Amino acid sequence: MQLPSSEMRPRLSARARLQTDKVTGKPIVLYPEGVLMLNPTGHAIVSLCTGDLTFDEMVAKLAERYKIPTAQISAQVAEYLNRLRERNLLELQEANK
Amino acid sequence: MSLPAPRPFVLLAEITHRCPLHCPYCSNPLQLASQANELTTDVWKRVLDEAAALGVLHAGFSGGEPLQRSDLPQLVAAARAAGLYTNLITSSLGLNPQRLEDLKSAGLDSIQISFQSDEESLADRIAGISAHALKLKAAQMVRDAGLPLTVNVVLHRANIERLEQIIALAEQLGAERLELANTQYYGWAFQNRAVLLPTRAQIERAMPIATAAKKRLLGKMELLFVLPDYYSNRPKPCMNGWGQKYLTINPAGEVLPCPTAHEIKSLRFDNVREKSLAWIWKESEAFNRFRGTEWLPEPCHDCEFREVDFGGCRCQAALIAGDATVTDPACELSPHRGILTQFVEASQTGEMPATTAWVFRRNGGI
Repeated sequence: MQLPSSEMRPRLSARARLQTDKVTGKPIVLYPEGVLMLNPTGHAIVSLCTGDLTFDEMVAKLAERYKIPTAQISAQVAEYLNRLRERNLLELQEANK
Repeated sequence: MSLPAPRPFVLLAEITHRCPLHCPYCSNPLQLASQANELTTDVWKRVLDEAAALGVLHAGFSGGEPLQRSDLPQLVAAARAAGLYTNLITSSLGLNPQRLEDLKSAGLDSIQISFQSDEESLADRIAGISAHALKLKAAQMVRDAGLPLTVNVVLHRANIERLEQIIALAEQLGAERLELANTQYYGWAFQNRAVLLPTRAQIERAMPIATAAKKRLLGKMELLFVLPDYYSNRPKPCMNGWGQKYLTINPAGEVLPCPTAHEIKSLRFDNVREKSLAWIWKESEAFNRFRGTEWLPEPCHDCEFREVDFGGCRCQAALIAGDATVTDPACELSPHRGILTQFVEASQTGEMPATTAWVFRRNGGI
């Protein structure tokens, strides 16, 4: 599954909730019948899924934060978002929302 | 008991056994808890806090019909305040816009509505009450309120042929998750298993429909399809292992390692009225009896799949083999598999059961 367009604005689905796990102190995403334990990279990506940024803008932000060229992380971010989407945890808003 | 107790993730809070429906596939016990014996609001609130402190992340409010309790929004609010993800598992009977608003304000995260079929007359026949039209309205209400909707349909011989239409209904209703779970044969369902178990031909027709729908709906609707283990060669990894991730609290306050553990008559379940949830989870005999793999009997003990299925389901061992400590008879390696196979083969006539053959769930018990 491919992201439809780099102009789409990914947003964490209303059925999912990002919070801090009381036991481990680490970030988690809760959704019906499931939980994702996020690693730091996952957390950085999910935190940007607010519906405000386009995919390209997300990648640019992450590239800046981790001092990595966008070309190098773009595919990785897309893959992560697709995994969220396969679990129906991601909404993709049109560019002109 | 050498290892520290694992972390529980899911609490099923069966807050009442009262239910307006009479579904013959219900897995509640035949002896249902009375209203007088239900836990109070305050005890539930304490228990929800204790669950969160233990590491639980999900609270499912179930029953019976949880909407039968007027304090449901208070319980949901308490669960949310403790950081739990809250899911209401309901027939939807008793839901109206005001109650839904109350639940939403309390912080309810998602709602799961059960349907008996896509088609009204069959659905109402299975529920033993006119419920289908109300459920359609309730589902719309949930969508209008902006809450995520899961549709759950328990499958059996009388409705599995409608799989395609059932999937279409869930899409139409805007469900984000669809659970197509074949009946689990415990409680009332066990009484009715001879008329509920689908035929092999029905299962074979249903499987490709579910597989294709799952693929088609990827990213739109999460689809779960559970086969009846009577037809499999290996047992299910029941509850992902006894006392590993799940706990159920029944309306009277007994804490069970699985929702149907009442089938195991040799176990005694501690009650949250008398003991803390942490003690029950970590120390109680019921939770430790089948925890881990050390206790496993032969042929499980040396089996290469012992960390995959943990010997299967204890309740099924109790119900079919009459002994909760033996290998789940669903396993082809179980010395009791023959009992199940004989039953399955006798169920292949494919006759559509008359509803007169069903034992409908009654609140007074059997």
